[in-house]
Amino acid sequence: MRYILLMSGTKPGVDSYRAWSKRDIDTHMAVLTGISRELKESGEFVATQGLAAPHEAQVVRGVKDGTPITDGVFPESKEFLLGYWIVDVASPERACEIAGRISAAPGPGERPTNMPIEVRQFANHGPQS
Amino acid sequence: MKYILMMHGNQANWDEYGKWSKEDLERNVAFMRAFSKDLKDAGVFVDTKGLAWPQEAKTVRAGTSGEPVTDGVFPESKEFLAGYWIVDVEGAEQAYKIAARASAAPGLGGKPINMPIEVRRVLGSHSDLGL
Repeated sequence: MRYILLMSGTKPGVDSYRAWSKRDIDTHMAVLTGISRELKESGEFVATQGLAAPHEAQVVRGVKDGTPITDGVFPESKEFLLGYWIVDVASPERACEIAGRISAAPGPGERPTNMPIEVRQFANHGPQS
Repeated sequence: MKYILMMHGNQANWDEYGKWSKEDLERNVAFMRAFSKDLKDAGVFVDTKGLAWPQEAKTVRAGTSGEPVTDGVFPESKEFLAGYWIVDVEGAEQAYKIAARASAAPGLGGKPINMPIEVRRVLGSHSDLGL
């Protein structure tokens, strides 16, 4: 069963991440890299991807005079996708277990970030070609 | 440069989609298939996925001893990811043009949905964040 684990955050949340010390960021990334490596070893890894900072985000809606209509203004509360992991696991419990480990990745002062990780299954129909 | 084009919807949007006629659904899915094929033919396609209904969504946080604590209750306004495309294009403008085509996908009665498509640059590696 394939699940996508979504890590999201608001702009203020991302700004506070940018204020982390290099050491805190390195510790955090080392744990995330270790989780990816373990998932590869267990054969559960499918993909992972980080997204660029939300200040670059644009929403496109329709076209006017042949040009896409873009808008980069979002409510303060908007949750931006920061990154995701796709895993192929035996059960939903296992997907949640992996999400829990990502949530426990260390933040400033090596305390767990406790970030909420949204766990979603893929549709087995629809726009997949 | 890689960009991700994301479709989102709140629970009410999903509920409406669940009520579409078979004809409307088929027209929409046919568009999505042709759209992916066009992207492949143009050499810009990387990936596309549709996500399952948000009723199945869970949020996980780590508990005090690292155990997963799950919660399936979300605010009504919560925007759930419905699906995405990843494209490898020359720049943002090309990504916006592709997003505009996705936005115009046919909905009820074949009229363009004009749904908002969020366009985000995908990182090559974490160092691209410039921290």
